[in-house]
Amino acid sequence: MKKILVVDDEESIRFLYKEELEDEGYVVECAKDGEEAIEKVSVFKPDLISLDIKMPGMDGIETLKRIREKERQLPIVLCSAYGEYKQDLTTWASDAYIVKCADLTAFKSTIRRLLGLS
Amino acid sequence: MPDRVDPYDLLKSIVQLSNTSLPLPVKLDHMLQSISRASQSSRCLLIGTEKIIPNGFLDRLALEKKPLWVEEGSPFRRENVFPEEEDLLRPPFACFPLYDGTSSRGILYLSFPTGYRFSPQQMDLLFLVAEVMESTIRNDDFQQMVQRHEKRVKELSTLWELNKALLTTVNLERILHLTLTAITIGEGLKFNRAMLFLVNEKDRILEGAMAVGPDNAEEAGKAWASLSRRNGALSDLITQLDPEGHSDLNSVVKGIQIPLEQEQCILSRTVLEGRPFNTQLPQSKEGWLQTRCERGCHLGSEVGCYVGEHLSRDPRMYSFATVPLMGKGKVIGVVLVDNLYNQNPITEEDIHVLSMFANQAGLAIQNATLYRNLEEVHQELKETQTFLVHLEKMVALGEMSTTIAHEIKNPLTSIGGFARRLDRNFPEESQEKKYSQTIIKEVSRLEKILKDLLSYTRDESLIFKELDLRDVLEGSLSMVIEGIRSGGVQLVKEYAAEIPLIKGDSLQLKKSFFNLINNASQAMKERGTLFLRVFPFSRNGSPCVRVEVEDTGKGIDPENLHNIFNPFYSTKESSLGLGLAIVHQIIASHRGQIEVDNHPGTGVKFIITLPAFKKGKENCV
Repeated sequence: MKKILVVDDEESIRFLYKEELEDEGYVVECAKDGEEAIEKVSVFKPDLISLDIKMPGMDGIETLKRIREKERQLPIVLCSAYGEYKQDLTTWASDAYIVKCADLTAFKSTIRRLLGLS
Repeated sequence: MPDRVDPYDLLKSIVQLSNTSLPLPVKLDHMLQSISRASQSSRCLLIGTEKIIPNGFLDRLALEKKPLWVEEGSPFRRENVFPEEEDLLRPPFACFPLYDGTSSRGILYLSFPTGYRFSPQQMDLLFLVAEVMESTIRNDDFQQMVQRHEKRVKELSTLWELNKALLTTVNLERILHLTLTAITIGEGLKFNRAMLFLVNEKDRILEGAMAVGPDNAEEAGKAWASLSRRNGALSDLITQLDPEGHSDLNSVVKGIQIPLEQEQCILSRTVLEGRPFNTQLPQSKEGWLQTRCERGCHLGSEVGCYVGEHLSRDPRMYSFATVPLMGKGKVIGVVLVDNLYNQNPITEEDIHVLSMFANQAGLAIQNATLYRNLEEVHQELKETQTFLVHLEKMVALGEMSTTIAHEIKNPLTSIGGFARRLDRNFPEESQEKKYSQTIIKEVSRLEKILKDLLSYTRDESLIFKELDLRDVLEGSLSMVIEGIRSGGVQLVKEYAAEIPLIKGDSLQLKKSFFNLINNASQAMKERGTLFLRVFPFSRNGSPCVRVEVEDTGKGIDPENLHNIFNPFYSTKESSLGLGLAIVHQIIASHRGQIEVDNHPGTGVKFIITLPAFKKGKENCV
């Protein structure tokens, strides 16, 4: 079973993503910020990370950089409430960029694609 | 001299004559007659200073200021006697120089029959008489001087009153009217009519500004009758007079425009030469005024061909004067005056007073003009300030909305997401399913609003491709076509057969045209014609494509026109007011332009111009 790490500072979003992704058959672990995410990458060893950009403390882009230094192949999906970071070149280091939306269809299909499941 | 003469009688009659109010020459003539009768002289003359030959015998006598009498056979100093003086210098004769203490006033001269002998008493008496004559002449000079001064004081006080009236306002129209009223009013400068022209520096023309004066003799009579019934200070009178209503003269003058280069026109000359002209036109043999106007119009129209024909019904009798209006260091206009109705001659004195007043009026008019310009600029500044304040509010509102939108987005994702989870678990047709569906639908709506808002405030990345705008427009149309068809809106498409491609983001442009088409069809309220046009266009020599979206709705209220591209501005209750702001931003990001051709009441046309795509220049876009 593929393991997914959901990183988001909003508890409701973590809860929603966990429920939805578990329904899809993944093992889901959550982190509430960048530091916790970096810790959990080495312990939990996820197959994919869903990473929020705007977070207090270390933001998603910084977290992305730190994880990429160790895990070059690990697929990372950046999730944001806005499309504004799309132009930020550093976000190109991620494998996908998803604008948050109540309809999670696009989110889920992106994950399936990155995990080679579709 | 025999004692037949009562010296008191002569002195009495001379002094009495001196005190009469007769004109000076008459007085002096009567005096000479009395002297002649009393002294039994054969000739009795008053030789005025102008008749005394310089450096002659009499001139020396006047300089010496001493009386001289010569009896027959008596010797006297015959020096510098001019031939013209010979006749006077045949004894017996007597000369009494008149001297007022500073200058000579002439010589009282008497000649007597042959054999006449002078008595010392008689000489004393004649000496006294000469002194009285001298003081009579001096008094008359004083009186004339006093009269002249009185007149000048009156003129100055009139000018002062008129200037006081000018100081009551800075309103240009009012100043012009006051100026012309002052020139025409009976208590003022008394001209029948006055017309004022101002220099338009930019176009180098003289423009008729205002005229005051009756349109015909009958009206003039009425006006003068009513004026004579008023009383009060002149400055009060003038300021209380209301501008008259319609006047033919005023309309004629306001239509006059004379190029300053037209130098044969006396109005232009008054400006160019900066001096008054008093024009009494000479009559030609034919009874017409001689014209110096090369264009040969019949009021020897030094006034300017146009003016002459219109200002006088009988140009043969037309006399007028012009004076320049002086501002600070330059001529700012001209005043033209005439006495068309009472035909009073215009004297140099009149022109002098008018010129003095024109200088004051010129300054007042210049000040009023400056004040008006200042007011206009002030008004513009005020409008700009209002606009800036509005814009600032808009920006603040925009920023606030963005922040709020961001804060709302995450919770909305959760609400919508969980609603979907619930929805999946509810059986079809259940009441709960309806509830969850409603939540999902409403959340989608909110998400769309947020997306619009954020896409306005945030520049979404554009994907530029080569596009045919006809296809883009068709794409936009397919999103609304159902709405148009269902109503009574007729669609007219005018697409050029060949148009250049452009480079742009298909989705964004579709969104723009969709907004415009949607607005148009809403403006027509399901009744009217929607025109869509696409055609090649050239802007400053570079190829472009133009798209026009035109409706036959009620157009845009001109008051709102400057606001339509502002974010959050809407006249529709159901709209967030972002539609046209988004269109504007999208077109601008495509280096295009959007223009509005607004016809309130009949419709509005949005014109979008986008640069054509040139092969090999992709990097430019």
